[in-house]
Amino acid sequence: MRHEKYFSLKNLTFLIIIIALIFFPYVADSRTLTILMTQIFIFSILAMSYDILLGYTGIVSFGHAMFFGIGAYTTAILLSTYNNTMMIFLISIIVGMIFAGIVSFLVGLLTLRLKSHFFAMLTLAISGLFLVVAEKWRTVTKGNDGFTFRAPDVFRDRVIFYFFVLVCLVVVFLVLRRFVNSPLGKVLIAVRENEQRTRSLGFRTLHYKVTASVVAGVVASLSGSLYAISLRFVNTSVMSMDITLDALLMTIIGGVGTLIGPIVGSLVIETAQHYLSGLANDYPIFERWIIFFGMLYILAVIFFPKGIVGTVYVKYLTWKSKKAKPQLPTQSVPLVKDKERFE
Amino acid sequence: MDLFISLFINGLATGMLIFLLAAGLTLIFGLMDVLNFAHGGLFVWGAYSGIFVYTWSGSFIVGILGAIVTGFVLGWITEKLIITPVYGNHVQQILITLGFMLVLSECIKVVFGPNSIPVDVPSYLAGSWEIGEVIVIKYRIFIIVIGLVIFGIFQYVLKKTKIGLIVRAGVMDKEMVQVLGINIKRVFLFVFMTGSAMAAFGGMLMAPYSGVIYAEMGMEYAILGFIVVVIGGMGSFSGSLMAAILVGLAGSFMAYYVPYLSLAVNMILMAIVLIFRPQGLFTNAKEG
Repeated sequence: MRHEKYFSLKNLTFLIIIIALIFFPYVADSRTLTILMTQIFIFSILAMSYDILLGYTGIVSFGHAMFFGIGAYTTAILLSTYNNTMMIFLISIIVGMIFAGIVSFLVGLLTLRLKSHFFAMLTLAISGLFLVVAEKWRTVTKGNDGFTFRAPDVFRDRVIFYFFVLVCLVVVFLVLRRFVNSPLGKVLIAVRENEQRTRSLGFRTLHYKVTASVVAGVVASLSGSLYAISLRFVNTSVMSMDITLDALLMTIIGGVGTLIGPIVGSLVIETAQHYLSGLANDYPIFERWIIFFGMLYILAVIFFPKGIVGTVYVKYLTWKSKKAKPQLPTQSVPLVKDKERFE
Repeated sequence: MDLFISLFINGLATGMLIFLLAAGLTLIFGLMDVLNFAHGGLFVWGAYSGIFVYTWSGSFIVGILGAIVTGFVLGWITEKLIITPVYGNHVQQILITLGFMLVLSECIKVVFGPNSIPVDVPSYLAGSWEIGEVIVIKYRIFIIVIGLVIFGIFQYVLKKTKIGLIVRAGVMDKEMVQVLGINIKRVFLFVFMTGSAMAAFGGMLMAPYSGVIYAEMGMEYAILGFIVVVIGGMGSFSGSLMAAILVGLAGSFMAYYVPYLSLAVNMILMAIVLIFRPQGLFTNAKEG
């Protein structure tokens, strides 16, 4: 169905961006900026995984932090228990992914048959449960105080870690792009648009939703592992609601239902967070920068439900169709249709 | 035995506070089909503004009135600005009310400062009675009485007055109520504001009970409120009282006997109810 040219404008743009990112640490000769970019990549991975649920399948989960936390804790615990070699790190990523996959499979199987409200509440409760476990199981997690550990020696150089995360980001992006463009991904979009109709076409929507949840959980676990390495410290905050909220904000502001959107959202939010908290010394109001994002987010939900990328894309499509011939954009499917008021 | 009684009273008082929060949630959900994730924000705003008025005026009653007024005003703003644009769209409702929750709890930190504020019980409610071996703290009895009175008032309004009739009919069948010539939007607004005022009132009563208020407590109590709404059954008013007492008692007894399970027990309870009886424990299957 998709006949994409390898040297289309889209792919060329990606290539240019990636090349620019490869040279970034050498051009911007600042440690802080490299660390900031690494952070942006890590949260991009998390937000993309969240978008598989929110943007592509149309389910709101408030429990995404638990998969992030599972990844972060697995890596931290394995690296501090055994030695800090690259091998153990890679194993810990795999173990975290497997563990997150199992958890998301079980949780999804139990909860995804429920309606959206109940699902959101139950995921909130289950991730709260994980947070409590992380806090109480002090022998392993050291509770709220957390613990430090030694990252693999290779990653002592921030630039190398930057490249490692960049590679992860590109790989995850390509894999997820393949995933959402596969027939399976198309069914997920159908579930988002109208679950009942999809079911009446003979698809077992529960299976597809569980698959989406497992994929999202596994990818979130990867971002958690990377996050733990970037801080070389882990405490219960990796399981907290704030992580889910971050992913949610990035996805909504960047653009739901696209894979670029979460990356843009992560770029916007992490950069703004970095500079606004810098401004807080002069203007105390910026200490509460999250207010601006909360408001921006509310406005985005009401007026731009497609986010930055979605809005730009629709503008681009209408511009192109106006230039060529009057024709409605067929590619862009809105996340949520305006349903009848009382359904 | 005396331990059992004091744990029981403790649990009952907590249950009543959660009931004040959950009753609004369940009515709003039952009538409007909106799950308000910002309800905890209204709860914490009630607590902060009530305590502000209380310290400023020196009277606890005036403080309670201040909290209720805040609840009404914030309820009006929330309904008009946040809920109205997204009626009938569940995903957007969940997203937008959560965002509003974020704004509300951050605004608390801007207006009242990020530190937690200690709160004293007013002198005429402080202290305790000794009945035999049992020490009964006055404020807890006060909360239980208030909770029961509120429950009685609302039961009366729902069952015996015209507006109550409309609300109950609206929970069952919104279109039919509209067809009969009732402006259901006004009823929505009324119920939403009442629910918000109840949450704010609960927050205000909560403040001297826990002795300290902080901005994050909104989310903590909102989660308890959701658990109660799920266990009691969405849209069931008396169910939410039963479930709130159940959750309060479970929390109080577990905190004493199995402390490390105290936070988890309610969530496990909710998960079990959602999986096996999603319509709630205290509703008939017909209503759900």
